[in-house]
Amino acid sequence: MLTELETRLLGVLMMVIMLGMGASLTFKDFRIAFRKPQGVLIGLLCQYGIMPLLGYSSAVLLGLPPAIAVGLLLMGCMPGGTTSNIFTYFSKGVLALSIMMTVCSTLVAVLMVPLLLAFYGNLMAVSSEYVIPAANVAQVLFVLLVPTVIGIALRKFNPNVGAVIELIGALLGVFVIVFLIGSWVPRNWSLLMTTPWSVYLAAIGLGVIGMLLGFLLSRGLKQDRRRARTIALETGIQNGPLAVLIVTLTFTGTMQQEVLLIPVLYSLFIVLTSTAVTIWFRRVTTREDLARDQAKVPTALQPARA
Amino acid sequence: MDQETSAYDLKPWTRHYGDAIASRLPPLRHANLAGLIRDCERRFAKQIAFTTCMPNGMNGSLTYAQVARHSDAFAVYLRECVGLAAGARVAVQTPNCLAYPVAAFGVLKAGCVLVNTNPLYTPTEMEHQFKDSGAEALVIVDMFANKLEGVLAKTGIRKVIVCQVPQFLPAIPRAVIRAVMKVWNRVLPPIAIAHVQLGRALAEGERAKKEKRIDVASYASALERDTLAVLQYTGGTTGVSKGAMLTHGNLLSNLDQALAMGRARIVDGGECVLTALPLYHIFAFQFNLLCFFACGARNVLAPSPRPIGNLQRAFENFPITWVSGVNTLFNALLNEEWFTAFPPRYLKAAVAGGAALQHAVAERWERVTQTRIAEGYGLTEASPVVSFNPLTGVQKPDSIGIPVPGTEVRLVDDAGQPVAPGQPGELIVRGPQVMAGYWKQAQETASTLRDGWLHTGDVAVMDADGYFKIVDRKKDLVLVSGFNVYPNEIEDVIAQMDEVLEVGVIGVPDAKSGEALRAYVVPLAEGLTEEAVRAHCRKHLTDYKLPKAIEIRKELPKSPIGKILRKELRAEYARAAGT
Repeated sequence: MLTELETRLLGVLMMVIMLGMGASLTFKDFRIAFRKPQGVLIGLLCQYGIMPLLGYSSAVLLGLPPAIAVGLLLMGCMPGGTTSNIFTYFSKGVLALSIMMTVCSTLVAVLMVPLLLAFYGNLMAVSSEYVIPAANVAQVLFVLLVPTVIGIALRKFNPNVGAVIELIGALLGVFVIVFLIGSWVPRNWSLLMTTPWSVYLAAIGLGVIGMLLGFLLSRGLKQDRRRARTIALETGIQNGPLAVLIVTLTFTGTMQQEVLLIPVLYSLFIVLTSTAVTIWFRRVTTREDLARDQAKVPTALQPARA
Repeated sequence: MDQETSAYDLKPWTRHYGDAIASRLPPLRHANLAGLIRDCERRFAKQIAFTTCMPNGMNGSLTYAQVARHSDAFAVYLRECVGLAAGARVAVQTPNCLAYPVAAFGVLKAGCVLVNTNPLYTPTEMEHQFKDSGAEALVIVDMFANKLEGVLAKTGIRKVIVCQVPQFLPAIPRAVIRAVMKVWNRVLPPIAIAHVQLGRALAEGERAKKEKRIDVASYASALERDTLAVLQYTGGTTGVSKGAMLTHGNLLSNLDQALAMGRARIVDGGECVLTALPLYHIFAFQFNLLCFFACGARNVLAPSPRPIGNLQRAFENFPITWVSGVNTLFNALLNEEWFTAFPPRYLKAAVAGGAALQHAVAERWERVTQTRIAEGYGLTEASPVVSFNPLTGVQKPDSIGIPVPGTEVRLVDDAGQPVAPGQPGELIVRGPQVMAGYWKQAQETASTLRDGWLHTGDVAVMDADGYFKIVDRKKDLVLVSGFNVYPNEIEDVIAQMDEVLEVGVIGVPDAKSGEALRAYVVPLAEGLTEEAVRAHCRKHLTDYKLPKAIEIRKELPKSPIGKILRKELRAEYARAAGT
């Protein structure tokens, strides 16, 4: 795990990054994102429909021991993580939609997370009293919203200042991603060596399959490709640190260590898989942009291709 | 030319001018472009003249007074520091950025001749243009200056001035943009040749102006209406690029003519025009740069409109009232959600030229933006505007509109006799905007300019209202077994297929039919077969109009503004047939 200082530093960095993300946006971007408000609803459906179910079913299918299964379930029930916004930004997705989804899923978390945990916990017969730190959820919202709004305001006030801050935020974003990967592996080397393959599969699969199902469901519900990719990233990327916090507040001793395993592994691998997916999405988006440049204008006889 | 009065000489179109368009234009107010530029710089001094808007929203601006100061300094630099004489050719080779107007206006104020040069030219094309024009100095954007290495020594260029896309932007955004260009995009190669930075040149010019107490206006005092102002290179009819000699009078006249068509919708000092087309091209040079400078407008320059998302911040951050474009640009905008969901609120009108505007594009534009696209017609040799659909009055789809005031237009047959109205004939133009000739090409000039009539090589028809419609290029006409076939018609039919992105049709020699049609088709997605195209053609075309050969391919050769170059296709076919 990260030290206290590192956690604090990371928190500050996240605020600067979100300032940069906000500075890349205009209020009009949010209005465009909200032209199809069902996007946010579909995001919520993926977040609290697909992900917990995925967590539960992979725990059952892989026959994970109870403590680890609890960790996986908890991970599946988490709201969207702030890093999803950074990845959406780099993948040229609909950033405004991503931010709105993170905000909504985090708001709803206070209600949904205990409900879902109780429901699936009952199914798995591992029910427990979870402590949902409302203050921390509020903090997540604060770190997310305040810098974003300031960023948007700065961009509106002066596009030059906005664009410079956007660039700084983006550079820091890359730095944080590289830092997370670089510092995590050596610290947890022994953990990585002793973890069984089924746990790996669960930790990696939660993110990757979550993205895939999120994409398919959004496409099925008639979201365009760019929005579907945005929802996919949002679905797959969960708020890992929040899960870790809930575990440390709820469990103690060796139980805590075991429950923590999946959230910790997930947090590492989601950065790796999201980076790969982001690079891929970015290429696809660029190609689509250029193709759309040349596409025919849709007419009554030839409606737009989705 | 014959003496009798033809239907064209009665100018049936003038009744569509209405109250908004003057049918007779007052005499020119300025002797030369430098005078007009200076006058506007004084009138609108404190207003913003130009803004460069980068795709990420970074921007920088120059006021009319700043344009005056910088372009004066540049004029002095050219005359005093480089030692150019009046009439010397100065090439300017940059994409849209604040350096362009400073350099171009500086050249004109110095009494020199501006040679607009496409920055995407290959070294071979650059060499031809610099040698042919006899350019003595060159303003080039840093991104492409490395292309000069093998070329410079073979030309008469004595001084290379290097400018930047983010020129004149505030220091931090400028540094950031340059860092991104250098490190991320890697588009700033080191420049090995001797050169001076534009900023340095301006400082030297400023110093020389002070020391020698120079009255910059005196450089242009000898320039008259028929003095050469711009050498505008064009592919023309024969393939080798040649320079159309546009005089101060040509450009000033055409400015008045073009403005007359839209004057009723233009408020002096109150417009904001988006320039996404390149300024080195005559359309944007006349329409965006000169016309709107003359109206005191703010000109928002977009360095690159591809991908089209690059224009999003420009549309959001500036109250765009006018936009010029070509069919592909409007098409691309209409495919963007950010554009169709929130169309520009202050837009008054759009102007299309360069290539035929598709019906579907025009219709959808009107529905989305609640404004019209006025389609016009012009060519480099006519500075360039010949005709326009009036913004205030009847607009006809697929039509290039009516001739601008002070312009004579006729449609003639091969013998030079006017054809009956409704019949296709070569469009010829006479008016104050018609070029003085091709630079050092007496023969080409003589065949294109006859009795003051510019032979455009375009075949058109005129309807009863005096509106014109382009049928095709005369030289593209294909003679299949004695039947006239216009490739445009075949292209239109093939382009109707959903699976087709674009298509070019040419005539090639054929042993049996004299000439035969050959179609080059670019599909939207994979899977389009020759047979499918053939079947589609059979449904819509008579036998002799069917393409004999159909080639499916990935792309077609195009001009900088996106016109499909049939002559390249013909050359390619000839090369392949020859080997």
